[in-house]
Amino acid sequence: MTDQEHLERAYRRRLAWYPREFRNEHGPEILAVLMAGARDGQRRPGLAGSADLIRGGLSLRLFPCVPRSARTVRAAVWLTCAGAVIPALSLILGLVTLSAKGIVGGLIVAAMWLCMARAIGQGRNGARVFSVVLFGVVTLALGIAVFGFGGPGHVAGMTAFSLSLSVLNWLIGLAALGLLWLPASTAFFRPSILVEAQRAARLAERARIAAVRY
Amino acid sequence: MQEATFLILTALADGSQHGYGIITDVQEISGGRVRLRPGTLYTALERLRVDGLIGVDREEIVDGRLRRYYRLTPAGTGRLAAEAARLQAHAAAALRRLNVAGVTAT
Repeated sequence: MTDQEHLERAYRRRLAWYPREFRNEHGPEILAVLMAGARDGQRRPGLAGSADLIRGGLSLRLFPCVPRSARTVRAAVWLTCAGAVIPALSLILGLVTLSAKGIVGGLIVAAMWLCMARAIGQGRNGARVFSVVLFGVVTLALGIAVFGFGGPGHVAGMTAFSLSLSVLNWLIGLAALGLLWLPASTAFFRPSILVEAQRAARLAERARIAAVRY
Repeated sequence: MQEATFLILTALADGSQHGYGIITDVQEISGGRVRLRPGTLYTALERLRVDGLIGVDREEIVDGRLRRYYRLTPAGTGRLAAEAARLQAHAAAALRRLNVAGVTAT
């Protein structure tokens, strides 16, 4: 394999960080730019080159179509991703201590935060409404844990540490929810059916372009 | 508007360009100070497309590789003009006050 082929393959692997739809559309073009900017004899993308592609890919995965102008929505998506950090830690702790409860609980809760972040980033109004419901349920559960049976300080099966982590996550959720329902955010959200319709139209348009090209 | 965004729009102001062309042009406009990386460039281009400030002008195949040319939309031209006027007003104010203070800009 020549240096150039080696480098191109490495770049292709880095491009996997981008959403598939975007990669299908722009992959060959980005690859051409990457190869045009390569030094003679370069075989690896390098740390900065890789970081640039990973950052770009993650950003487009998280905010597939949030305009830069929708700052409050972008902040809410970031916060919602941050909400997955504590459950992910609980998952890791569960794996270390082999606690089934920790593993399953951490996995489900972390996945839910990330799914919510994605749905919000797609501008689905249903996700915004659902996040209120979810937050209500969590608030109720946390309220019972803290103030329920036996009063404060008598939390069944929860250490002070895990309780404070739950409260921290609750605060993250509260902040994200606040941002989502600011008037500045509202303009960005559309009914899910419209999001799907626009997605379908975009795919059809890309298929048409591809058909013309070949 | 972020500096990179401003420079990308500026690179497209007098005609359509492809990705690598934008990178070299931005480097020239900024006096070699800003070197856009491809990941940063294409993320920015996608955001600008979503915002309706740029569009695809045409596609070419050069040496077996795809080149896609981007151009400003009327909304993009308007945004760039407004941003340039804003920056110019700020720069003029700064220079005026520096002159009053007896400092000459180099």
